[in-house]
Amino acid sequence: MQRDPDSPRPGSLTRRTFLRGGALIGLGATAAARSISETTDAAVSAQDPSAPKGRIRKGRFRISLRINGTPRTLTVEPRTSLLNALRVHLEPPLTGTKLVCDGGNCGACTVLIDGAPTAACMQLAIDAEGHEIRTVESIGSPGALSALQQSFCDHDGMMCGFCTSGFVMSLTAALEKNPRADEGELRRACAGNLCRCGTYPQVFKAALAVSQSAKAGRDGGAK
Amino acid sequence: MSAELTWTRGDDARLIGRRVPRIDGPDKVSGRAVYPHDKRFESMVWAEFVPCPMPSANVELDLDAAMAVTGVVHAERVCGDKTLYLGEPMAVVAAETPEAAREGAAALLATMTLTPLDFCVTSQAALREGAPSVGRSGNVTRERTRDQGDAVAAFAAAQTSGGATIDVRYTVQVQHHACLETHGMVVDYNGGQNATIHGSIQGTFALLDGPNELLGLPAANVEGNVQHMGGGFGSKFGIGIEGRVACELAAKLKRPVHLFMDRETEFHASGNRSGNEVTVRAAAGKDGRLTSLISDSNKLGGLSGGSYAWLPYIYSAENYTTTQRSVHTNTDGNRAFRAPGHPQASFAMEGALDELAYQLGLDPVAMRLTNLPAEENPDFAVWHKHLKRVADEIGWYEHPHRTAPGSAKYTFEREEAIGIGFGLSVWGGGGGPGNQVEVSVDRTGTVLASVGTQDIGTGARTLVAMIVAEELHRDLDDVQARIGSTQYGMGNVSGGSVTSACLAPAVKDAAAKMRVELLAKAAAAMNVDAGELAFYAGGSVATTDGTVSLSWKELCALLGATGLTTHGTWQRDLQASGVHGAQAVKVAVDLLTGRVRVIKMICMQDAGLILNALTAQSQIQGALVQSLSYALFEERLIDADLGARLNPNFESYKIANSIVIPEMQVIFDEDDDRGVIGLGEPPAIPGAAAIANAVHNACGVRVRDLPLTPDKVLMGLEALR
Repeated sequence: MQRDPDSPRPGSLTRRTFLRGGALIGLGATAAARSISETTDAAVSAQDPSAPKGRIRKGRFRISLRINGTPRTLTVEPRTSLLNALRVHLEPPLTGTKLVCDGGNCGACTVLIDGAPTAACMQLAIDAEGHEIRTVESIGSPGALSALQQSFCDHDGMMCGFCTSGFVMSLTAALEKNPRADEGELRRACAGNLCRCGTYPQVFKAALAVSQSAKAGRDGGAK
Repeated sequence: MSAELTWTRGDDARLIGRRVPRIDGPDKVSGRAVYPHDKRFESMVWAEFVPCPMPSANVELDLDAAMAVTGVVHAERVCGDKTLYLGEPMAVVAAETPEAAREGAAALLATMTLTPLDFCVTSQAALREGAPSVGRSGNVTRERTRDQGDAVAAFAAAQTSGGATIDVRYTVQVQHHACLETHGMVVDYNGGQNATIHGSIQGTFALLDGPNELLGLPAANVEGNVQHMGGGFGSKFGIGIEGRVACELAAKLKRPVHLFMDRETEFHASGNRSGNEVTVRAAAGKDGRLTSLISDSNKLGGLSGGSYAWLPYIYSAENYTTTQRSVHTNTDGNRAFRAPGHPQASFAMEGALDELAYQLGLDPVAMRLTNLPAEENPDFAVWHKHLKRVADEIGWYEHPHRTAPGSAKYTFEREEAIGIGFGLSVWGGGGGPGNQVEVSVDRTGTVLASVGTQDIGTGARTLVAMIVAEELHRDLDDVQARIGSTQYGMGNVSGGSVTSACLAPAVKDAAAKMRVELLAKAAAAMNVDAGELAFYAGGSVATTDGTVSLSWKELCALLGATGLTTHGTWQRDLQASGVHGAQAVKVAVDLLTGRVRVIKMICMQDAGLILNALTAQSQIQGALVQSLSYALFEERLIDADLGARLNPNFESYKIANSIVIPEMQVIFDEDDDRGVIGLGEPPAIPGAAAIANAVHNACGVRVRDLPLTPDKVLMGLEALR
């Protein structure tokens, strides 16, 4: 599916863009051009100009998503969330991004879409085409952690660990935006991430250690 | 040998007692740690519960409606003729994709016929005459009383003799565990002779007995597996309805089954911390000594009994009579939740003590010490030390109002009122037998430490590796800890703060035996007496005078093809029980909005031998966060008349987030030189009480009903005007 480059990125989902996304599928002009529809229902609706606007059609679509820098094709339904696309429909799946609330309330499914932290449970997979999606798996691996991930380990920024990848993503985005972010900025950056074990103090410490070392590096260089 | 076992501690220890990053940290921060919810198997079906939207209903299901949905492979009823509690799973739908399962569940809900039955979702309704009976034994069960002396006479005497008296009612809400990974399992079964169950559970071995029968397999053919799990807090001991249904589905379909509660079902069908309402009449003499306490408590545990620690909690009262009973409603039964019954009782008791202190014009810290007379009971002395220390650390002795609360008056110069409050805690937290640990070393020098226990987030996996590495003078990376499988030795469940005190002694026992056996091998090869040998850095072995030595590699090369294996069990002398603590909290109350901001929380408690100072601190801070969240935000809401769930989601069931986290200070009692004790539950006890006491100290508003939301503070401020 091609999108109007001026259209809002998925991260800024509003009721209006959500409905428009639905209309796009209903009209199906671009969907038909780019996607292989696998059911007749979808195929018909995709080409039928009399199909009612704004109605989300059923069916399965072959889409291509840019995930962690690599184009990946997968088959989804219009209703498939980006989260389920990653965790379930992608082969092999990427399960580092967690499903917790399925309602955009907890931040556990945070991914970066064009650099912006976004709840993957609130995005339709088909809407994510044409955007750069980054998941926790791309930030670092156990043998090659990012500075933030290493700092999470050093300061024990996790307990059960189920919220951890979401925090890592929110704070990675914050530090990319401002490598020298102060504690207030870092706290605000993860205000949408919930942790039930109560690891917040260690998470702040971990993130702050990274921003402070960036600061020290900058200040040191200036001298 | 066991009798001689002692912990390496203090400066002698390289790992034990240090701040050791958890060994599975890199997996967790990079999304590589695979949780039960993340398990994927060929031809796996996705199952979804359909929870009952009513507290009690006759349920008629049209399974065809679900089966008609594309992708749905199976649907079945999982409840009896009628549901007994709000949110009870009525049916399960299994499908090829999670989307189809959800659609099937929605179709089932839309087409079923629910005939509402009479219900009670509040204690008022349950206690009303002619109320519908929730359980077979009626709505009130297990009424018990404990007493000492004549509390009624002492209360009457205090009313005439000029002491202080209170006659108040304290209530606390129902709190959800709100585990981030919901309750659920993946049963990997394809109709053959073997199955593996990946459960989000607090006891690996709960997956072994029972589930195998549901699958129709011998226990030996079923593996329970818990490599990681996303939080339990007491709610994940058994396999639950989710485990039972997942196994039954797998047996029927002969396909792997993924069954986890969705968030909405999780909120109302996976246990909770019981609510409570208690009336407290208490009296104290002018010296602050409690002369009488009369309390009457309704435990609100839904279908279950609820839990409540006995008043006067830890304090000494000359006379008391304290009654508690379970009042049942058509709501999900309570389960264990981090120090069951203690935060509820602490809230009332610490509040009552404060109320009496201020009435008498006494300092509430002094009031507490008066009622923990160390001369009468030496065990009380430890609380004196902890309470004085946290009072000092939080700045109590410089605080402007210590014997009367601060002013409730808002001015443009003074928008916030600052207050300090206190609370104390007690817990058992010792270990017991169960764990069977195996340590093995092979000729290449690889060290394996295996035990079936689970790591629920406390860092148990890291402890296993640390203790063995310490004993053999190896680096942490040199020891592979294998846990979370019924294929390894028995592991205790994680509950009641017993994990470390159960696990660590057994690991130490196995490791110490390995050390002895390795030294014996070395002695034979080096032709010296084993008593002259010791381990040194890197696992090398040398005589105490350093004349003969073997490197770790050389030592292990001496082993036969099968290497060496030792087994360890729980050792009483390496652990202890009995945990005491005190907390101090500083808050700011916004006098215009009623909003409470916690500024600082300090916790001091018994620590015993801290195995890992890093993860121990995390656990205590986590308990403080949960207390704050309980005190200020969390509350299960059900419409009393309609019996409808009002907040089964994280949008309206608030838990603490990053913005509200205060400064925290954790102080371990360094005089406590016992072995390993439990740490996780005691710090979750007094926080809510201390916050409520701090709010009162700030501005004179006594909120006796949790959560302590701004509306309640504003009502209190209005009443003081």
